[in-house]
Amino acid sequence: MKWTQFFTPAQSLNYNEAESYISQHPGEEITILDVRQPSEYQESHIPGATLIPLPELSDRLTEIDPEKPTLVY
Amino acid sequence: MLTGNGFKKVFNVSGGIKAWHSKTAIGPQDLGIDLFNSNEEPLEVLKVAYSMEQGLREFYLTLGKDSRNEKVKALFSKLADIEIKHQISIYSSYTDLSPDKPSKDEFEKMVEARALEGGLSTKEYLDLFKPDLNSPTDVISLAMSIEAQALDLYQRVSTKIVNKESKDVINKIANEEKVHLASLGRLMDSL
Repeated sequence: MKWTQFFTPAQSLNYNEAESYISQHPGEEITILDVRQPSEYQESHIPGATLIPLPELSDRLTEIDPEKPTLVY
Repeated sequence: MLTGNGFKKVFNVSGGIKAWHSKTAIGPQDLGIDLFNSNEEPLEVLKVAYSMEQGLREFYLTLGKDSRNEKVKALFSKLADIEIKHQISIYSSYTDLSPDKPSKDEFEKMVEARALEGGLSTKEYLDLFKPDLNSPTDVISLAMSIEAQALDLYQRVSTKIVNKESKDVINKIANEEKVHLASLGRLMDSL
């Protein structure tokens, strides 16, 4: 078991910080990860967000690049 | 889960989508992706992108013609002009990559109009956003929604496209859309 996952909380960005982070980085250099359900994504999502619903995340981690900064919501 | 699995930099967007005040995009993850083929050559990608910008430009021109409000008419004409700038940039990328270097007229003949920028049709956009076409704020908000949708489409396509050069082309257009979206935001603030 990888215990680190319980002890390394992700840093939080508020709306202003997230918005400015996204606008300062070209889309291909960051991942915006939407972990909600597909129906929620369909209704509204941050432009460019990749959808991987939380229940599927552990099985689909290989679909995103761990080297890129990842903004999760 | 991500930090424990080797992800270098993870940020939690606090408040999630409810706290997000900028424009959002709608639709499933594959919306509009069918306009692009995943094996598409860069030149084909540019043609699709050009046709979408053209579709949007015509959309703005038609709405401008229908509006009775002079301020809104001027706004639509400004929005249509911005699309010309995008088209020029796409055409210039095309001539950089193409061995044939077609003239702009020849290039336009090769481009078929497929869908509006962002992958939805004119009617779908109007039904969705129901803008008051005599209100400048509504008009800019509509344009921002379309640009957000376009940015979203280009970025989703970029992850699907295999060809490296095509990917670069799409990323370049996506980043231009991002700048465009920011400038529309400033225009909205100036009203």
